[in-house]
Amino acid sequence: MTPPDDISLTRPQFIGARVVRREDPRLLTGAGNYVADIKRHGMVHIAFRRSDHAHALIKNIDTSAARAVPGVVAIYTGADIARLANPYQATSRMKNYQATYIPPIATEKVRYVGEAVVAVVAESRYVAEDALAHIVIDYEPLAVLVDPEESLKPGAPKLHDDLASNILAEREFSRGEVEDAFANAAETAGGRFHFTRTTPVTIEARASVAEYDRGARALTLHCTTQIPGIVRDKLSEVFDLPGPRIRVIAPDVGGGFGGKTSLYSEEIVVCAVARDLCKPVKWVSDRMEDLMTTGNAFDEIVDAEIAVAEDGTILGVKADVIGDIGAYSIYPWTAVIEPVQVVSFLPGPYRIENYSARVRAVATNKTLTGAYRGVGRPISVFVMDRLLDMVARKIGMDPAEIRRRNLVNDDEFPYKAASGLVWDKSAFQACLREAADGIGYEELRREQTAARADGRWVGIGVASYAELTGVGSRIAVAPGMPINTGTETCTIAIDSTGSVTASFGIASQGQGMETTLAQVVAEELGVKVDDVDIVLGDTSAVSHGTGTYASRGAVFGGGAGILAAKAVRDKIVRVAGHLLEAADEDIETGNGNVWVKGTDKSMSVRDLARALYSDMGRVPKEMRDEIDNLEATKVYDPFFGTTTSACHMCLIEIDPETYKVFIRRYIVVEDCGRVINPLIADGQAHGGVAQGIGVALMEEVIHDANGQVLTASLVDYVVPSAVEVPSMDVVHVDAELPNTIGGFRGLGEGGTIGAPACIANAISDALSPFGIEIMEIPATPERIFRLVEAAKG
Amino acid sequence: MKPAPFEYVRATSVNEALAALAAGNGEAKLLAGGQSLVPMMNFRLVDAPVFVDINGIAELAGIEATANGGLRIGALTRHYTLETSDAVRTRFPVLHEAMKHVAHLAIRNRGTIGGSLSHADPAAELPAMAVLLNAMIVTVSSSGGREIAAEDFFLAPLTTALEPDEIVLAIDFPGLPPGAGWGFEEFAQRRGDFAVAGAAAVVVMDGDRVTEARISLMGVHDTPLRASAGEQALIAGGIDAAAAAARREVEPMNDLHGSADYRRHLVEALTRRVLRAAIEMAAR
Amino acid sequence: MSAKISVAVTVNGTPHTADVEPRLLLADFLRENLDLTGTHVGCEHGICGACTILMNGDSVRSCLTFAVQADGAEIETVESLGDIDNLSQLQEAFREHHALQCGFCTPGMLMTVTDMLRKYPLATDDDIRDGLSGNLCRCTGYQNIVRAVRSAANKRDGK
Repeated sequence: MTPPDDISLTRPQFIGARVVRREDPRLLTGAGNYVADIKRHGMVHIAFRRSDHAHALIKNIDTSAARAVPGVVAIYTGADIARLANPYQATSRMKNYQATYIPPIATEKVRYVGEAVVAVVAESRYVAEDALAHIVIDYEPLAVLVDPEESLKPGAPKLHDDLASNILAEREFSRGEVEDAFANAAETAGGRFHFTRTTPVTIEARASVAEYDRGARALTLHCTTQIPGIVRDKLSEVFDLPGPRIRVIAPDVGGGFGGKTSLYSEEIVVCAVARDLCKPVKWVSDRMEDLMTTGNAFDEIVDAEIAVAEDGTILGVKADVIGDIGAYSIYPWTAVIEPVQVVSFLPGPYRIENYSARVRAVATNKTLTGAYRGVGRPISVFVMDRLLDMVARKIGMDPAEIRRRNLVNDDEFPYKAASGLVWDKSAFQACLREAADGIGYEELRREQTAARADGRWVGIGVASYAELTGVGSRIAVAPGMPINTGTETCTIAIDSTGSVTASFGIASQGQGMETTLAQVVAEELGVKVDDVDIVLGDTSAVSHGTGTYASRGAVFGGGAGILAAKAVRDKIVRVAGHLLEAADEDIETGNGNVWVKGTDKSMSVRDLARALYSDMGRVPKEMRDEIDNLEATKVYDPFFGTTTSACHMCLIEIDPETYKVFIRRYIVVEDCGRVINPLIADGQAHGGVAQGIGVALMEEVIHDANGQVLTASLVDYVVPSAVEVPSMDVVHVDAELPNTIGGFRGLGEGGTIGAPACIANAISDALSPFGIEIMEIPATPERIFRLVEAAKG
Repeated sequence: MKPAPFEYVRATSVNEALAALAAGNGEAKLLAGGQSLVPMMNFRLVDAPVFVDINGIAELAGIEATANGGLRIGALTRHYTLETSDAVRTRFPVLHEAMKHVAHLAIRNRGTIGGSLSHADPAAELPAMAVLLNAMIVTVSSSGGREIAAEDFFLAPLTTALEPDEIVLAIDFPGLPPGAGWGFEEFAQRRGDFAVAGAAAVVVMDGDRVTEARISLMGVHDTPLRASAGEQALIAGGIDAAAAAARREVEPMNDLHGSADYRRHLVEALTRRVLRAAIEMAAR
Repeated sequence: MSAKISVAVTVNGTPHTADVEPRLLLADFLRENLDLTGTHVGCEHGICGACTILMNGDSVRSCLTFAVQADGAEIETVESLGDIDNLSQLQEAFREHHALQCGFCTPGMLMTVTDMLRKYPLATDDDIRDGLSGNLCRCTGYQNIVRAVRSAANKRDGK
């Protein structure tokens, strides 16, 4: 064997490398294992009869004709499920929060169109759907509330009779003297911003398969979930089953984006039915169900204003936010997560000393609001960055310049934002500078002037933002949420064949964590990437975990992986020191080998493992008693988390006759810490921006005055295709690394956080000759038409 | 979203199809490409006890040249065949252009011209092309054969003059005068979507005088619409007058994809564009 | 219960016969009856493209085709393109360029691209984007898919 020291080992070997993904061969060849692919002997299928009323009492349900349909196995109403599953609600320690019980199947009343009212279990989904039409339900309609401003009024009909009102949460933030700031301002700008309802639209709709082993009294749930640990822990309470007898597995999952981070009613129903019938039970959402029942997002009304001094320095910001959160407070995040994030992130990466904001989360007869990529931050950035552009226009200042003057500088970190969040450190100014350089900002302004002279409507957009990622136990992901989201566990084990398995409590929906975490673990241990198997998304694999959300995969998974790998490596070194007769500090690892520095004494990790586990007497008893095995479990708590920031810039053009928006150039410059795999990091930016483009230009969930969902197909809920998303440049700035283990920051949500603001600013810039400011998203051609007509007329 | 149960008949000849429709007592439906019909079946918006699959009737597909530069296109001719047909491209370049906007390749591989016309979505391209090009729809039923002019074929959204037992056999497109210019513009939210509004024009000129004008509009009325007032205004007053007249002729819907006002606005803008393109081409 | 119909279809080179309900969608026939779960169901109304397969060489939505309509046809699904240990050139291109993330839209994407590469010159990247517009992806933002297809088109053209 060639002495390893002769091999030029440059570190890092794998961190930062463009490693092609290990997931790809199976996904490319149709060998992925998605929940809808799962088949079990004797499996039965569920279809739900769903409410077509937005708010009504259920007077009677007659399932007799449905039961008679050949192939129907069983039928369950809300009362049936209530006997099989304990009730649950999403709690929060936040003041002024009202929790709602969420019946898995509606019992006395329905509160949104699409709410499940009956579950039909049959031999096939086809037959189950046939039976649905035979169910007769008598409803007594109640007044429907679809306008949150109506719903929050005192005296409005209550969605939940046991609550005091429809305002499920209320909170205020305040710092400094905002009214003084506005009184002394050289200029102010503001108005009512409306960010409308969105739904995540994963190409794989939600699905669950539950199996109950009658003998072992053990339940297994295969589920398209991002949060297997949270689901398992709650199912344990709902079904009075101890943890070890519930296993939640998220296999290959086709996208999540937050839409699969909630506990859904269907997950409880399949488990309840599986236990009741002792048969495997499958439910696969169809697209119509998905568009009506998967957690919605972004339905926020923000009245906001900014006050600046003559030189463009921000003096103060105030905001009043109404979050329309739908019919129930979703589990586990509560109805609070999005609206409160809108105000807590509103100050953004800017220096703002005077701030006041109020937020109310209001229940309406619509689909529940859950978490979707960016959560409240796309709205925060939309409002703050629109305010900046609006006031900049009033004082005749360039939008990039007003940001330069107000972005927190490097020497001000750690910076406590006006809402109380702390930015540890991040390259706010460098991102802005490099975005301007990257897109050729000065040249673009010149091109814009020339284009305008030609009658073309060209606009340039800028948006800067900051977010907290990898947030540890210091701050709950959702305010006052009692569930611990601040830690993750990694168990690394090397077995007697020398194989490395690293198990995590997080789950993957396409982020490539089987590859990135293998890179991190391999780097730290000193083995090859291909020799590390990553286990994700299985609650039986680690003692505790929650899942993937809030851009925490790299920080938590990477950090816990490094800690566990270090611990295992220490053991490897000790054993190697003995076997190679050297001091521990002279042992080096790399490429799956261990050796004594400066010598040719070496062995493979595989041989070392065999020596420890399988060969009699090679490692002394005393040493084995101390180290036990080549295994370690570590829990990582990043505590504060870390700031990720970016600047987006874009060039758009609007057809002056059709009002269609074309995105000509797009650049993202981000500080996302140490990049594990540039292929994957860039891919996350591309995907996030694409979703941001959808939100900015075309996606809107629409309910009519009766609460009917008008956007219940992909013809009506419009997501971007390859034609509507441009090619974009993604640049990672070279900046000081955060203090997280590994130096990682989260980056999954950033594209969606910055894009709506950037595009809205560009459209406003293009339409500025008309004095038009974009206040409502999506900025569809129809909306632009109305704004231009109003401006002309 | 699984379809309801139905009985299935595979017809291998027109007579077999007619017999199956007759046996269905007015309740049987034809299944051709299925690209518009099957989604509705999956949503359970369309239901029938019997579906008669006519995809196997080979004689219903094909493109034949007819006198004076025309084409007879079999009802079962797939969109992709039209898209790539040299005969279509040379004789009816406006139809060739329209085909590029029809949905996506996978849809075009299966969808048929007979199916699209029978489905009669006012926002679809082929119905608008049929009225633009003065097509004759050739049918057969238990009462015999007939030809229906395109302008009489489309009655209301998703409603045609076809009887329940009537089958479209072919569509006759009479040839265009030599030197005719054309224009086609479709506005949709995304590539391949149904038109929010669309306009197509054919223009014949004598020197710099317009002698014949045809304007067809999609997505802005109950049916595809020949903007006859617009056509007359073009000859009498020019492009702007024609666009304004076309705008006044339509009664668009308000829906999720566009308001009536916005659609009227698009009619004027797109009509202007297609007329400009057609005139420029015809003048060469 | 409607009368079952006999269907004889060749899938990835293997002949199959079955008696199926007329309403059974081809997508479900492939996934349930033949255990070929590589073809995915995303919308059941023809928009998302995840279910795209080749029927007699043409890309087709298997959610808009009944299994009985595939009688006598040659069907190719994603499983026919390559193996885990032996990816096709197109699959390699997707991997090289990180043209997939969750993988759910990928089989339909690959079958569409296979047809596109045979039928269209794809001279510009805009042409590629046009061709891909019938296959929705929510993860990748399409940019890397375009790159993968461009690289496949170049190989096709001997560039």
